[in-house]
Amino acid sequence: MFTRLLQQSFRRDWRRKLLAIFTIVLATTLMTALASLSIDVGDKMAREMKAYGSNIKVVPKSDSIPLTIGGVNYNPLSGRDYLNEADLPKIKDIFWRNNITGLTPFLTLPVTLGSAEDDHVPLIGTYFHKLMPVEGFDNFFTGVTVTHPFWQVTGTWPEEDSLDQVLVGETLAERQGLKPGATLTLTSAEGKSRNVTVSGIVEASEEEAGGIVAPLALAQDLAGLSGKVGSVSVSALTIPENSLSRKARSDPSSLDAQQYDTWYCSAYVSAIVHQIEEALPNASARPIWQVADSEGVVIGKIQLLMAVVALAAFASSAMAISSLLNTSVMERSREIGLMKALGASEAAILSLFLGEAVIIGIIGGLIGAALGAGLSQIIGLTVFGATITFPGVVVLVVVIASILIALAGSVLPSRTIAALAPVETLYGRR
Amino acid sequence: MLQASSDELEEFETDSESQTRPVIETRGLTKRFGTVTALDHIDLTIRAGEFVSVMGPSGSGKTTFLNLISCLDTPTEGSYLLDGIDVSTFTEKERAVMRRERIGLVFQQFHLIPYLNAQENVMLAQHYHSVVDAEGATRALERVGLADRAHHLPSQLSGGEQQRVCIARALINEPSLILADEPTGNLDAKNEHLVMELFSELHREGRVIVLITHNPELGRRTDRTIWFEHGRRVRRASEAA
Ligand SMILES: Nc1ncnc2c1ncn2[C@@H]1O[C@H](COP(=O)(O)OP(=O)(O)OP(=O)(O)O)[C@@H](O)[C@H]1O
Ligand SMILES: [Mg+2]
Repeated sequence: MFTRLLQQSFRRDWRRKLLAIFTIVLATTLMTALASLSIDVGDKMAREMKAYGSNIKVVPKSDSIPLTIGGVNYNPLSGRDYLNEADLPKIKDIFWRNNITGLTPFLTLPVTLGSAEDDHVPLIGTYFHKLMPVEGFDNFFTGVTVTHPFWQVTGTWPEEDSLDQVLVGETLAERQGLKPGATLTLTSAEGKSRNVTVSGIVEASEEEAGGIVAPLALAQDLAGLSGKVGSVSVSALTIPENSLSRKARSDPSSLDAQQYDTWYCSAYVSAIVHQIEEALPNASARPIWQVADSEGVVIGKIQLLMAVVALAAFASSAMAISSLLNTSVMERSREIGLMKALGASEAAILSLFLGEAVIIGIIGGLIGAALGAGLSQIIGLTVFGATITFPGVVVLVVVIASILIALAGSVLPSRTIAALAPVETLYGRR
Repeated sequence: MLQASSDELEEFETDSESQTRPVIETRGLTKRFGTVTALDHIDLTIRAGEFVSVMGPSGSGKTTFLNLISCLDTPTEGSYLLDGIDVSTFTEKERAVMRRERIGLVFQQFHLIPYLNAQENVMLAQHYHSVVDAEGATRALERVGLADRAHHLPSQLSGGEQQRVCIARALINEPSLILADEPTGNLDAKNEHLVMELFSELHREGRVIVLITHNPELGRRTDRTIWFEHGRRVRRASEAA
């Protein structure tokens, strides 16, 4: 009888039920999309933020306070400390190796161009898109295309490891009237010379604009520093800093054993920096705080925003359900009066309306979860250019949430039911 | 028109009725709606096996009285014993139990659920009483001569047929008391006759029936008529004669 009453109520009043289901679908679609996005978004966002540059810089220990003027390091080349190129894969072998998305070595030296003997320009040797052999990562390509994705080249990138192709910074190219295909003779302070071809013009940061960007091998050759690297830029996925990581940042030895473990095993930028220094004992790693900090804060804020929007969707659909149910209760007040006159307990009548709400919640929740999964994929593809991993548990959570929405929306109508006196409704005094 | 004291009326009842068990006993039963006194100190006893009609001008308190004795409403003052149980202080929950256990209601407006068929409308009363039993519902419909209409919706039934479904629903849980408020008010003479026949039959089976009517013809077919005027019981000249 109960199911028959439910069934008939849906059949007779399908428009309103459909509307109620639709409201739930809207809310749950939004909630599903937001939930699966905010679970996956930390990662996606962090990757996206990486587009604006690497967030850790590794330099030799003695070089922590470099003497740079106009982007050129005027510390004498000889007698300075360098990192070994052969040690670089160790950075990709720390505890948080999976969070290291790229690492790019740099070796900068002043050179003169064949045309203007006394004009020193910086020559920056680096990787562009180099396959780095790392255990456990078969295809670890790294270089400026990974850590500095904002670099733009007109022409072509030089071939990796070539000794006769370079990029020219845009201001230098303009000053010297250089175009792709032009040839140059580069001479270092050490007296070594090489004839090179300009493969492209690079738009990067200020440092590169007035200089030359070359494969690392060429810079090492000109500097006479085979296998040496001046600094390494690292891109790492990090989580927002908190009080623990800030404490560690000022002094890791101030943590007790348990705090230390927690900190070490969280992807704080300070923990990753610490681990890089463990891997390269003669190196000093420093987070570029601006990038690292704002990253964490932005992601945290976006997740908060999503939570607020999801909550608003929950509340507004509960209110919509409430008013829909309320009108249906009012419309069916005679029916309810009759049921009461027949001796129906309040619980029996309430269970009818709550049963309706639960059915609406389940149907709406399932449809909404499906649509939300689709929506999150669309958002993932358009915003991040990648699919979102959809956690199955979200479906369960969303269906339960939508049942709760429906029940929350039934609270007020239930009170109306309780207040209906059979005498008044039966004789149409209401 | 004579106004009688309650003693007089009680004597009158004692005279005319054999002393069976009282089913309905009201003492000083009063109902006020704000300043309107709809019922004013009603003393009344209805005994087992009685078929009683309630008559009186419009607004005299008949429906108010029926609502009180059917446990749909609570009195402002006075007491009401149903089968010897004082229900005047019962909560809504307790009154709901009394309604489903002991009372069958028949309304002028039928009050059938429009989207349930005849059989299901009868079964609804079973549902709230105990368990549904389709066969029992069919038998009740047979009783009122509607066996072939069990699967029709109320909208597919005539007024008389709808009222008979309503009576089947009132019967289904074997109540000790059947209360009907102008059950034939919306019916033509033929259907009125049919419904009255049913009530008489139920009465012969030993059920207590209280029937509100405006039709003196119907009033004459009951054991006795109780008259109301301005919320009071009165003795009518015709009755006294
Ligand atoms: N809920 C209520 N609120 C206010 N006044 C009411 C209410 N119910 C009944 N009354 C008043 O109580 C009086 C008795 O009403 P009741 O419905 O009992 O009359 P009745 O004898 O059944 O009349 P009718 O023959 O027209 O059905 C009337 O004056 C009516 O206006
Ligand atoms: Mg009335």
